Amino acid sequence: MPTAAVSGDATPPLLLASDIDKTFDRTRALVGAGVEIVAGEVHALLGANGAGKSTLSRVISGHVRRDRGTLTWRGAPLDPRSPRDALSAGIAMVMQETSLAPDLSVLENIFLPELALPGRLRFAALRERARKILDSLGQEATLPLDFEVGRLSVAQRQLVEIAKALAVDATLIIFDEPTASLSPGEVERLFDVMTRLRSASHALVFVSHRLEEVFAITDRVTVMREGRTVARSLPTASLSQSDIIRLMVGQELGRIYAERPADTVRGAPILEVRNLRAPPRVRDVSFTLHQGEILGLGGLVGAGRSETLEAVFGLRPHTGGEIRLNGKHFIAKRPAQAIRAGIGFVPEDRRGQSIVPDFSVRENLLLGHLSAHRGFGLNYASRNTRIAELLRLLDLPSERLLDANMLNFSGGMQQKIIIARWLLLDPRVLLLDEPTKGVDIGTRSSIYAMLREVADRGTAVLVVSSDFEELLGLCSRIMVVSDGATISEMPSAVLDEAKLTLFAAPRSSMAINARLLADLARETGGAAFWALLDGGRLFCLNRVGGEAAADPGFGAGATPLFEETRIPTALAAPPGAFVAEPDGARGTLLVQVQSHRGHGLGWIGLTVPGTTTPDAATIARRVHDVFAHSI
Amino acid sequence: MLGLALVVFVGLSLASPFFLLSNNLLNLLDQSVVTGITAVGMTFVILTGGIDLSVGSVLGLTSVLMGMTMPHYGIPAGIAVAVVAGGAIGLFSGVLVARFGLASFVVTLGVMAIGRSLAYICSGATSISDIPPAINDLVYTPVLGVPSNVATLLVMYVLAGLYLSFTKGGRTIYAIGSNREAARAAGLNVLAYSVLPYVVSGALAAAAGVLLSAQVMSIDPLAGTALELDAIAAVVIGGASLYGGRGSIMGTLIGVMIMVMIRNGLNLLGVNPFWQGSAIGGIIIAAVLAERLVSTRMRG
Repeated sequence: MPTAAVSGDATPPLLLASDIDKTFDRTRALVGAGVEIVAGEVHALLGANGAGKSTLSRVISGHVRRDRGTLTWRGAPLDPRSPRDALSAGIAMVMQETSLAPDLSVLENIFLPELALPGRLRFAALRERARKILDSLGQEATLPLDFEVGRLSVAQRQLVEIAKALAVDATLIIFDEPTASLSPGEVERLFDVMTRLRSASHALVFVSHRLEEVFAITDRVTVMREGRTVARSLPTASLSQSDIIRLMVGQELGRIYAERPADTVRGAPILEVRNLRAPPRVRDVSFTLHQGEILGLGGLVGAGRSETLEAVFGLRPHTGGEIRLNGKHFIAKRPAQAIRAGIGFVPEDRRGQSIVPDFSVRENLLLGHLSAHRGFGLNYASRNTRIAELLRLLDLPSERLLDANMLNFSGGMQQKIIIARWLLLDPRVLLLDEPTKGVDIGTRSSIYAMLREVADRGTAVLVVSSDFEELLGLCSRIMVVSDGATISEMPSAVLDEAKLTLFAAPRSSMAINARLLADLARETGGAAFWALLDGGRLFCLNRVGGEAAADPGFGAGATPLFEETRIPTALAAPPGAFVAEPDGARGTLLVQVQSHRGHGLGWIGLTVPGTTTPDAATIARRVHDVFAHSI
Repeated sequence: MLGLALVVFVGLSLASPFFLLSNNLLNLLDQSVVTGITAVGMTFVILTGGIDLSVGSVLGLTSVLMGMTMPHYGIPAGIAVAVVAGGAIGLFSGVLVARFGLASFVVTLGVMAIGRSLAYICSGATSISDIPPAINDLVYTPVLGVPSNVATLLVMYVLAGLYLSFTKGGRTIYAIGSNREAARAAGLNVLAYSVLPYVVSGALAAAAGVLLSAQVMSIDPLAGTALELDAIAAVVIGGASLYGGRGSIMGTLIGVMIMVMIRNGLNLLGVNPFWQGSAIGGIIIAAVLAERLVSTRMRG
């Protein structure tokens, strides 16, 4: 459990930010925000999307200039005009999208700021320093210094960023959503690194919206909402998960998501995707989308979620698999074909892929119509009635329709207008990629209401989101993709965030674990599986081997009730030994596993045919051994 | 922009007693025909965020082709050959830019060099004066009181203005220039409407060449040299953004008029003609600066 090396009250803060204001266009991103950070702590900066936590971090690290407010650094005023100013003071930021030069080596990237200095570079000395830095992080083995950064994994790049910060002797390091595209194993490695930095008296800021991680690593919490600091420097240990949610949201969560949707209101299948392949990201994605339902598509950033939507919509070619729309074979080579077939698509990057900045709001709203309309003219007038209806749904006064610049609207209103662009065409299928990214909490709930209403009218809605809580609250079923392949499709009523996180972990990071399952299955002639057990239900994360007699009755991605499997007795019984089923056909051993930081990771099971069983204790030891060192 | 045009107009009226004479005003319009028609096509291209440096040499080459055709097949065939050839050259540039993602600056720079060289080769590097005299009617037949070349200019502007504001194609051109990715994701036909402006630009450069040849009754392979600069200047003075998405046909017309008025006015005032370049250059830079200041205020 985390311990604050220094108590907050006794020492003067390393950094004090107060009354910070920042306005972009007409959006007030920060309104009197503040934070206080002491040396030797990991400080969580929390808030929902659009709460201003990233903006505040960027103000502190010199990427954005504040309009008003004071920054005090080691007791003296600080006014960083650029990231370089902040760096030379000792403040570094590890960005979501890393700021590394992909064609340079790890070594060159670590010392990138020094490349700008006059004089000759002494590579031997730099190499020695780099080795020392990585050593201090306990990561000397993970980073080959001569590799080009472009060839590294996301987690390794992050490590380069951290080393780069240490190379300029940064004392305060801000991590902006560092875990967004990491597997659980990589997250644990990052936490190890952060723990070491904390004991070396660095101050760390951890920006996130994943609460379980906040509890795992941080000492104190500052919560932001709508640009304001609503809770300042509370000890993490004094808070419960629901306290933090209440602070972030400002109201009970139940009011944002209506009742948790049941998996009952499902019409006929309308969009069926089988074994979709669209290199490089999408390898094998299958799902069925029904009329009137909201299906969630969960997974980590980079798992191939956006690319799946783009392939269906015709923005990206696919090389394999089948798409059926209304039972008929369907391929969209261009988005125009998908639109004519009744599909709408709201992309993730609003500014880059949705908004036409030189068009009025009205013409932005009519952009989908422009593409669906066949003919030489515009025929905008034909949509006037429907536009009036949609404006009421959007809560937008009609005189703002002719507003010349959509960028003057809040992120939430922009998003509602883009969604309305498609609703104008009455689509049969609506695909949305991260629909609440950069949307304030108030508008979020009205977007949810909008999507629910659309689904109730019979449109099939598919939502991609990194926010698992949002998926659970909005969707009746959730499909998980990892490394470009569908892992599972489950009713959201039986899921929680922890389970989704494990399902979404990249398969590539599970290689050691998969090898263990394969070894066990081969040696015993049985079936080895990795599963979570909760509330009488089994969630199978992986399964290897076991034909006929040893078949436990479920495969990877399945979520059966215990009694629906072929090993109900073993699942119900306590662990530690092989448990035979009453008919004597197979026996099953279950071993509970956790990571070396004590994070529960479910169970490894081994089902063998007949009643002769291998030694349970030996197998348990092997399993524990592997898990202590992997994932 | 309109304000600037009025200032120039009133200023010149006061400065020179000859400026407001109806003779001179018609002369003004007459002088703006070639640049004006070319600038319509240039507006289309610049609205998509591209640029067409080849219009001058396209004018030269297509005029030469027309001069070679007319003595054998007549005036209509000659005009058709010129306009079709201009459109085809535009199609070539447009496909290279839109389909293969080459920079429009580089592609049209290449086409500019090729066009001029072909113009010399086809004409044997001499001017062609053996053209039917009847072609002069294209320029000086009065239509509703104005000469036909000026009438053609005005009709082109009206048609182009209507097309850009009130048709699917026109709005698509604006959308592509403003945010190509958004246009693509909304299902607009980005490829076709990225190519079309180059076709329009090539065809209109050829049409301008037809009127120029009819006016001077001779075809020179050098015709249209540096025309691209005037056309781009007119569009930019007219308020269009070289990044695409912003600008208008009316603005371009005003830009053309400002340029012609300054040239004409400085002539009437007896200023050394070498100063004209400085005056027009200064206005171009001022126009771009004004556009940038306005847009940073709007976009933050």
